[in-house]
Amino acid sequence: MNKENINPDSGCAGGFAEASDARLGALLRESRVSPALPPRFQEGVWRRIEEAAAPVKVTGGITWLDALATLVLRPRLAMATAAVLMVAGALLGVREGNQIAKQDAQARYLAVVAPNSLR
Amino acid sequence: MNRSLVILLGALVLGAALFGGSYFAGQRACRMTRSADDLSWLRDEFHLSDAEMARIQKLHEGYLPKCAEMCAKIAAKKSELEMALNGTTNVNPVAQQKLAELAALRAQCQAQMLQHFIEVSQTMPPEPGRRYLAEMQRLTLGFHEQTEQSMSESAGHEHHH
Repeated sequence: MNKENINPDSGCAGGFAEASDARLGALLRESRVSPALPPRFQEGVWRRIEEAAAPVKVTGGITWLDALATLVLRPRLAMATAAVLMVAGALLGVREGNQIAKQDAQARYLAVVAPNSLR
Repeated sequence: MNRSLVILLGALVLGAALFGGSYFAGQRACRMTRSADDLSWLRDEFHLSDAEMARIQKLHEGYLPKCAEMCAKIAAKKSELEMALNGTTNVNPVAQQKLAELAALRAQCQAQMLQHFIEVSQTMPPEPGRRYLAEMQRLTLGFHEQTEQSMSESAGHEHHH
């Protein structure tokens, strides 16, 4: 930068002062180094603003799966479901076991009192 | 693979395993707790008291040796019949006689068995007694009825052709 006398009180009149202000402004603008903006910078900024403002789009079909997975992963619901499944399984097993045990007992009695050769 | 899908499949497998495990555990526990007694079916099915069961137990113990004796006689007669039929191409008079004797023994054994069922049914209260007798007749004599019925049906079917 060139060193020049820019002092307004150097004994000159008002016209000189105005010219001096203009030169000072020009010098200041020159001294502020601003990097060159990338091409289509403004357009990119607006696009990013619009994207941020828009609602999140989710591909159709996946939404309900995600919702279900989230539901399944809830500890309370998972525990309740597991308990219901265990109780239902055990009850059904006991019922079936009773039926089988009854049939076994009947077959055992029949085998003792009525051998196969008589039936 | 989608993470949600993996979670759901895992939950499904886990749920099925829990249900299956509980089912088999319940079934096994139920079968293991049941008495292996020969007469347990009578007690459970006809809701008999201890006194009734004691009387039936006595009848049962008295019947078993007679039944075993008849079974031994039938088995011996069957052996005789097999010997009589051995090497023959027709039903000879000896085999016919053995068949008749075997049939008579079986009839005698069945009569004895039915008599036992009647005695047991009379030991029970009237309604369970009737139900027991009907069930035993169905289970022991019904087999022949089914066989005869199926044979007569197939014979009739052939006649039509």
